[in-house]
Amino acid sequence: MSSAGRLAVTCLFLSVLAGAAHAQKQGGVLRVTHRDNPPSASIHEEATISTIMPFMSVFNNLVIFDPDSQQNLLDRIVPELATKWAWSEDGRTLTFTLRDGVKWHDGKPFSSADVKCTWDMLTGKSEAKLRKNPRKPWYFNVREITTNGANEVAFHLADPEPSLLTMLAAGFSPVYPCHVSAAQMRTHPIGTGPFRFVELKQNESMRVVRNPDYWKPGKPYLDGIEFSIIPTRSTAILAFVAGKFDLTFTGELPPELVKDVQSQAPQAICVTQPTNTQGNLLINRDKPPFDDARIRKAMMLAIDRKAFSDIISRGIDKIGGAMMPPPEGQWGMSPEFLQTVAGYGADIEKNREQGRAIMRELGYGPDKPLAIKVSTRNIPDYRDPAVILIDHLKNVYIQGELEPIDTSVWYARMARKDYTVGMNVQGVGVDDPDVVLFETYSCGSERNYTGYCNADLEKLFHKQSMMTDYEQRRQIVWQIDKALQEDGARPVIYHGQAGTCWQPYVKGIRLAVNTIYNHWRFEDVWLDR
Amino acid sequence: MSTALAKPPAAAPTWRSEIGYLAGRYPLGVAGAIILLVFVFAALFAGTIAPLDPFSTNPAARLAPPSDAHLFGADAMGRDLLSRMIHGARISLAVALGATILGSGFGTAVGLASGYVGGWFDLIVQRVTEIMQALPLLVMALVITVSLGPSLTNTIIAIAIPLIPSVARVIRSNVLSLRELPFVEAARAVGMGEFRIAVAHVLPNTLAPLIVLATAQLGSTILTEASLSFLGLGVPEPYPSWGRMLSESAAEYVHTAPWLVIFPGAAISLLVFGTNLLGDALRDMLDPRQRD
Amino acid sequence: MAAYIVQRLLLMVLTLFGVSVAIFVLLRIVPGNIADILFDSAGLIDPADKAKIISDLGLDRSIPVQYVQWINGLFHGDLGYSYVSEKPVLEEIAPRIPITARLAGLALFFSVIVGVPLGVISAVRQNTWLDYVLRVVSLSGLSLPAFWLGLLILMAFVHWFGTIPIYDRVPDSIWQELELFAVPAAAVGFRSSALIMRLTRSSMLEVLRQDYVRTARSKGMSERSVTFDHALRNALLPVITTIGIETAILFGGLIVTETVFNIPGVARFLVEAIRWRDYPMVQNLVMFIAVVVVTVNLIVDLLYMLVDPRIRYSE
Repeated sequence: MSSAGRLAVTCLFLSVLAGAAHAQKQGGVLRVTHRDNPPSASIHEEATISTIMPFMSVFNNLVIFDPDSQQNLLDRIVPELATKWAWSEDGRTLTFTLRDGVKWHDGKPFSSADVKCTWDMLTGKSEAKLRKNPRKPWYFNVREITTNGANEVAFHLADPEPSLLTMLAAGFSPVYPCHVSAAQMRTHPIGTGPFRFVELKQNESMRVVRNPDYWKPGKPYLDGIEFSIIPTRSTAILAFVAGKFDLTFTGELPPELVKDVQSQAPQAICVTQPTNTQGNLLINRDKPPFDDARIRKAMMLAIDRKAFSDIISRGIDKIGGAMMPPPEGQWGMSPEFLQTVAGYGADIEKNREQGRAIMRELGYGPDKPLAIKVSTRNIPDYRDPAVILIDHLKNVYIQGELEPIDTSVWYARMARKDYTVGMNVQGVGVDDPDVVLFETYSCGSERNYTGYCNADLEKLFHKQSMMTDYEQRRQIVWQIDKALQEDGARPVIYHGQAGTCWQPYVKGIRLAVNTIYNHWRFEDVWLDR
Repeated sequence: MSTALAKPPAAAPTWRSEIGYLAGRYPLGVAGAIILLVFVFAALFAGTIAPLDPFSTNPAARLAPPSDAHLFGADAMGRDLLSRMIHGARISLAVALGATILGSGFGTAVGLASGYVGGWFDLIVQRVTEIMQALPLLVMALVITVSLGPSLTNTIIAIAIPLIPSVARVIRSNVLSLRELPFVEAARAVGMGEFRIAVAHVLPNTLAPLIVLATAQLGSTILTEASLSFLGLGVPEPYPSWGRMLSESAAEYVHTAPWLVIFPGAAISLLVFGTNLLGDALRDMLDPRQRD
Repeated sequence: MAAYIVQRLLLMVLTLFGVSVAIFVLLRIVPGNIADILFDSAGLIDPADKAKIISDLGLDRSIPVQYVQWINGLFHGDLGYSYVSEKPVLEEIAPRIPITARLAGLALFFSVIVGVPLGVISAVRQNTWLDYVLRVVSLSGLSLPAFWLGLLILMAFVHWFGTIPIYDRVPDSIWQELELFAVPAAAVGFRSSALIMRLTRSSMLEVLRQDYVRTARSKGMSERSVTFDHALRNALLPVITTIGIETAILFGGLIVTETVFNIPGVARFLVEAIRWRDYPMVQNLVMFIAVVVVTVNLIVDLLYMLVDPRIRYSE
């Protein structure tokens, strides 16, 4: 989206908001369907929307993406527990001034010590430990956190990293209280947010209630929120259509179900947007014959990305590289640029002919196909693309056999690199190059399942990370993304899109287009009935 | 092994009248046998009968409703449902026959041994069967499937194991009464070994109840596989299992594409219904004590 | 009789001991454990953190030691903590038991009030078209997968009534409870009713042929009183047995039915716990199920003995 367009949309948004501002009604309980049992209530220990959506409202961040902006942007970040912030001259220190008079749900005062505690824990520096720390890689650049009195806290970095603010604004970055143990945060979290945690009934429901002492006067509007776990999507939708729920779980509805909702409940509001997930291909480049770049290239040439999108989502899934494609994503390659990347050309038959030529050169052919196993998690979201992949690989004399792997051992197998070819669905928490590139593609990173390692490219990762100019940075990110795709580091096949629906009387839900994770504070939501 | 049941046809022309007699005497049983034969036929010749490749995806046919091109419609990946169901008959029958044969085989061996040998061996077997019967069949199959991991063979094993105790019990009680009969004494008197007596004389006489039981189990194994698949733990992709086809479609499309739920479910029900009809008739024929 | 009961109780303890060993060992050969699953959403496994979780949960101890700890806890009323919710197992299981018990009770109730009368009718009208229809219907009851029947009912409800009978709130009156449970209970009870009908029919037929019924008939008793006074009372015996057998089978049906209708009972919970490799939860739930099954079987046997004086149990 151009910045002028962005401005126009924002203005429209603001004027709508201003018109409605005096009309909010207090009260009522919002009923929401939930897709599965969240592993725990502790946001810092989990990396799933299943925990974020119900529990983000219990907390506050230092800063947050401006809810009035339709897109999460680095230059549209607003204060939350911090009232203001400043970068040092050298770009290596970020200092926050904190809000006064904020109280935790148990009545204890909030201070800079809590911020230090939280990030010391995340960077692994403190005694108090999280049981799991999935976002440790986000903070590899953070050297130290210092406090100056109760109201000031500073992040000291090894290298300048403007994206740090993006990470701190994400739903994944709440401030935790120093005085509550990590174990309690999993079962009964304490925050400063607009709602207080009430209960988490395993496989049944979750409940939060209004925090009457919230530091934003007059908010929240709702008395509480109830999430009911209904794992079967069609059942959840039928219950929503029958009026038993006000809001569906976010990013869960494929186009058919959105259409179904709209035909049965035409007044319902549905938004389809990226789910921050991408389907990608894992090729174990240590295992012969996949150590040969030519075979990897032939595989990439066999893939018809459009067919994947058409089958999985009736064509609404977007095609792109490692970064979320525009216009929703800020960093993805433009459609024109994408055409220059090998394997993304529109003429699939030509690609496949090239692929077959490569395979024939290597001694394979229709009578002598290469037999491989395609490993994937034994759940439909993974298996469906794997089935399509096997179908496509036939075009270049590769005979794939599906190996479904139980969810419980999938990541253990990936970490051991105990696979040859895998179909993977990957979640990307924040639309930001630092978050995506370092975790997935840097040498030795734990989430780098393919063991891809390219020192020259990694220098570029660091270079873009320090840049402040958006346009220049984006150009480098495109170059990196192109190199990653052509090198077959982890060929990206599609970027998922799905829908969220709510009843017309639910007001104040504002979804940013490039995330499902960052807009569930629920403090502006109210019921008009 | 002696054929204790099948009367050899006396002359060639009489087999027609034999069937005619059976059809008149056990019409429901014959209907069941026909249903079963149709499914067996579909399974055996799946490759030739199925109109399309059951694995080939097609974006254009995604969730196509039943039509001339796709008689039963197409699934979410545009694969022809009828073709998948025809191939699915193989899976259902493989699981049903595999698990029943495995379970009945082991059950018979265990029951025969424990009934014939008696003593401490019998005591241990009895206790073990009691332990196995203290858990619902599906619960046991569930735990075993998870322990073994997802695969066709493992599913068969997981379903077969819980069948063993009931077979063992029936065979054992039969053997206990057979053991005391004069013909066993007679065999012993002519110096026949115990093992041979057990296998050559006692075993054939337990065949009638075994066949009745096995037929009844055939249906229940199909239902167990369907339930396991419904819970996401049955026969995995790429095998087209009816239970999984139906449960995964139901999760998404029970309202938008009901044919994906109706047809596989109907196939499961019809096949089980057929085996049950046949099982009833066999019971009436072979087990006079239970005859109505 | 007393000696018999004591013997049965001792055997029961032995059986439960066997179940506990079996489930314990089976769970520990399952590939993947809770530590792996806890890292699932993170997309990476930190080996140090994983080792810590395993040692915190005591999973690094030898299997016999873990087993003794569990059984020791059981005797002290301590069922351990759920790995997932980190709450006491009892606190997680207890509120779910009444839900499943009510559903099962309602299903059994349905199946008896439907199955017995239809079985009697079928027997009395043996080999008429009515008998054939009832037999085919009952056989189809044994042939339909419970979850499919449940789904068809759900589809029908949405199609015709525009609503969906799933558990979406905690019922606060008996009527609400009936409203929530009636449909799933009927779905899962259809199978049991079919079985009860078949058994009632065949035992009725057997009894009707017996001498004392003939005698009663020959004494000029009306057909109706022969059927109801003599035959039915005797025919009820196998029905009691069926109920015994059905508790175990019913539970299997409940697993899928609770899943279809989104009912938060123990049956569905068991599947979830297995999926999460939540050992304390699974092993205690399985023990609970085994206790229920074994107890019901004992009660059924004793009832049988009381009702039918012809049966003598030899030691």
